[in-house]
Amino acid sequence: MATTTATISLNSADITGDPLSLSKTSTLTKAQGTDGLNQFTGITTLVYASAQTATPLVLAASYVNTAVAHKVYIRNTSTSEVDYINIELGSSNVSLGRLYGGDWAFLPWDAINDIDVDTSGALTIEFGVFSQSTLSA
Amino acid sequence: MATTNATLTLSSGDLVGSNLSLSASTVLNKAGNNTGMDQAVGLSRKLTSSLDTYTLFKADEFTANLAHKVYLKNISTTASEYFTVTIDDSILGRLYAGDWAFFPWAAADGVKSAFTVTFAATWATDDTAVFDGVTITLAATETVAAMAILVGAAKYPNFTAAVTSSGVVTFTAKDSNDLSLIEEGAASDDYVITTAGNGTGTVARTVAPVASASDIKITPSVGTAMTLESMLIFQA
Repeated sequence: MATTTATISLNSADITGDPLSLSKTSTLTKAQGTDGLNQFTGITTLVYASAQTATPLVLAASYVNTAVAHKVYIRNTSTSEVDYINIELGSSNVSLGRLYGGDWAFLPWDAINDIDVDTSGALTIEFGVFSQSTLSA
Repeated sequence: MATTNATLTLSSGDLVGSNLSLSASTVLNKAGNNTGMDQAVGLSRKLTSSLDTYTLFKADEFTANLAHKVYLKNISTTASEYFTVTIDDSILGRLYAGDWAFFPWAAADGVKSAFTVTFAATWATDDTAVFDGVTITLAATETVAAMAILVGAAKYPNFTAAVTSSGVVTFTAKDSNDLSLIEEGAASDDYVITTAGNGTGTVARTVAPVASASDIKITPSVGTAMTLESMLIFQA
């Protein structure tokens, strides 16, 4: 059983009246249990030479779905503030949101919907999927 | 301008053959520039107590397609308890006990319905116009223009109203998820006019509603108490 931890830190001295200093760590476990997620794609770098529209990034068909605790990490590695990735869900391409240069996301994913991306132009995406190989009981 | 840093650290000694140690850090800037996002719906907690779906953030209330970021955490310590996170009706995934998420949010607006009421002829004392639970009753005979001003000045629970030309009031729904269509014409069952004289108010739909497909919703796995922690960092 693997043990993987994910920690988020949000810090700001001036976004609210009092300083924001949030740090949360979770252990990435399978759904409904304490066993660790046991599959990982590795951190993958994709270089897009031109703007993309609804380009598949993570395919739901490759994973067990629903009663799962998969997690997806995505980062726009661009250093330009105008370059963005638009993350989309499913065949209807419902827009989740935009990651501008340097932004990252860490999101739960039940592998019902593909994760697609639009890009504003040529840029590089870094991503990885932490998943469980079988459904939880 | 505020400066907010978001850092992710992923670590594992045994998930892969060599140690995993990833760190990603970003300054949360506004879309398309390097000015920090300056607004937040501060760290808050939502206690759920039924299996209902709860709307956490309504897209209508925020500007679409910027650089908003959402933080969520399931506070539960019971391994089987989870929140299903959806973007309107599209399932994103499940947050099990202790899990957190941080992701961008498009806040894509729907389209709010709108209609006009065009007032004409003579409006007499005690004539009424009833809509959205609000009744306008005339205390004296009024001109068409004055009638429109009275109607436009009233406060409605689910619509905003404004005089858009002489004798014409435009109503706009406050929520794009209000998909009801008002009956058109001079004898609308939805915009009800009662007049002792010959006053008329003719209803015409001008904008058909389209529901928002971007509201962030959560559905708890159990009907007993569960708590979700959240924060939204956004720009206008």
